[in-house]
Amino acid sequence: MSKLNETDIQGFTLRGYNLPVARYIFLEFTDAERARELIRRLLGEITTGQQWDGGKPESTVNIAFTHRGLAALELPDATLLSFPVEFQQGMRKRADILGDTGRNDPVRWDPVWLDGRVHAWLGVNAKSAEALEARCAQMLALTRETGGATLRGSQDAAAAVVDGAQTTKEHFGFTDGFGNPDYLGVTRSSQPGQGKLMKDGSWAPLATGELLLGYADEAGELPVAPVPHLLASNGTFMVYRKLHQNLATFRAYLEEQAARYGGGKEKLAAKFIGRWRDGTPVELSPDRADSSIAQDPAQSTNFKFGADLEGTRCPIGAHIRRVHPRDAFGFNGKLIDRRRITRRGLPYGRFAAESETVSDSDDRGVIFMALNADISRQFEFVQQQWIEYGNDAHLGNDKDILMGNHGGHGKFVVQGDPTATNPPLICSRLPNFVELRGGDYFFLPSITALGMIALGLVDPR
Amino acid sequence: MPNESGKVSGLTILSPIIDDDKAIPSHDLQIRRYLAGLPTDEESPFALAPGTHLARLVVMDDVIYVGMPACEEHLKSKYLVFESNCDGDLEGYLRGLAANVPDYLDAIWSHCVGYPGAANVAAFVDYMKACQIETTFYFAAVNDKSVPETLRALRTQRAVADFVASHQGMEPARVQREFAQLVAALKTQPIPKAGSMGPRRDIKTGGRNE
Repeated sequence: MSKLNETDIQGFTLRGYNLPVARYIFLEFTDAERARELIRRLLGEITTGQQWDGGKPESTVNIAFTHRGLAALELPDATLLSFPVEFQQGMRKRADILGDTGRNDPVRWDPVWLDGRVHAWLGVNAKSAEALEARCAQMLALTRETGGATLRGSQDAAAAVVDGAQTTKEHFGFTDGFGNPDYLGVTRSSQPGQGKLMKDGSWAPLATGELLLGYADEAGELPVAPVPHLLASNGTFMVYRKLHQNLATFRAYLEEQAARYGGGKEKLAAKFIGRWRDGTPVELSPDRADSSIAQDPAQSTNFKFGADLEGTRCPIGAHIRRVHPRDAFGFNGKLIDRRRITRRGLPYGRFAAESETVSDSDDRGVIFMALNADISRQFEFVQQQWIEYGNDAHLGNDKDILMGNHGGHGKFVVQGDPTATNPPLICSRLPNFVELRGGDYFFLPSITALGMIALGLVDPR
Repeated sequence: MPNESGKVSGLTILSPIIDDDKAIPSHDLQIRRYLAGLPTDEESPFALAPGTHLARLVVMDDVIYVGMPACEEHLKSKYLVFESNCDGDLEGYLRGLAANVPDYLDAIWSHCVGYPGAANVAAFVDYMKACQIETTFYFAAVNDKSVPETLRALRTQRAVADFVASHQGMEPARVQREFAQLVAALKTQPIPKAGSMGPRRDIKTGGRNE
């Protein structure tokens, strides 16, 4: 595997920018020629994966398209029809497979997702609110000048500010953003536990084709990709999901269950997630948060579940164990290497301190964006089998406690032992702590592919 | 050992489908149409007759030629494939099918060459055995338990999980008393019907999410 061409890959694909504020702009293309002109003008604006030798820029811009968007850009039919089925269908049509029913049913989504007119996602990240406003104004001016797109809506997101400081916390109070995988050829300050588990117990990067189209994946195959190869290569697929968080419900449920739990409230919260609120992995420190572990890159993601098959340290159904089971299913972790996703995204809405009264109707949640080469094999599998179903984890029909579409049913088992501070507990009548408010599947092309689209040079032959 | 795995028997049958130019539609199409309408819940014939853990009926048209460098080959006949993991010995299982769901069997297998009908039980059993090939792989979830044992265990598991969830922190004497009541109730309840405990789902045509 030679080094990837970082100048050809969108920066958003290769790295989390770790910039504190963002706006995701949703555009509709109304005239193909003008839309292509807009993309041509945007080409010089798109942030690539090149290293930032001179420090982070004030802001970044990236772009991705829905299948409808690519159709509106008048890509050839032979190309449009060569995209994977799930991408052609879009997320809304996949609702049954994803368990997006009941409270998560598309009829309850934000209006912007209901009329099928979101054609493009323009992601702007910035160092400051001022920089964000300036860059967004510039982008919108471009759309007006070219007449290439109309604004369908936008979504602001920002790192949670806790006690005046920017953090990586999400609204339930947990430090987030630990577990992204490493990929072969992607330059990144990696840490043990982020790739795939090797026979000798070490961790190695996943095959590039688990993230990028045009490269071999963990099975040695090329991911299903559109033609021509040049359109697909160095691109990826993005799943965008706006996840509303019912903070009042979460707090009340945790209080109610903790009253019956001998380990105390914070320990129970940690058992739900698999990390203490400061990020300390429960598997490494089952009895207390330990910032020396949480903040140590050599430890914070460097753990396995194979020695804890009973789940008495980290429950078998803990969120991070379900969505990244590591070696929990045996076979030295080999069963999960083709089910990994890369997460991007930020919270939205104001962070509320524990002392504040909150309501479920407060507008807060997380913009979840997952990148993967194969939406069906990676994101959809994780969502369908590991979040909305429990069989792989030997948990029957139990859903993921945090993300599951419980509808007031289901259970979460905290496995325990005979010690007074680590008792077993069964939490039942689970409410929905998280609700889906919309989203879609996007294609995040390479710089070359953007140029081909802009110039009308996509040729499937 | 082929065809037996502990208490469970594996059955794989290939029945040649009648090739008759005058049949409209052809017999394989008639089987497909009939199978597509079969219930998959407790009304399934394999739930009405005892002893089936898992059954699958497939119409096999031919081997598919995938192009060079494979060589092109064809089957001499279309086949109906019947696979089943069942309790006890094969003969008893087949007799159970013939006794409980003869109409279903006849509706399916009457399109196959030489099928004698389920009314003549001995001939039916001989026919099925004549069509049998070896089974070497089994449905992993069978766990060497019989169908009634599995159904009872599933219900017990659910009931105990619900019991634990609703009795946590309760005074021990009361937990013990109510647990004894639960155990007694579980013992006297009839075994749930086969096919009644899974989620409702339609017949699917493939494994992919499409």
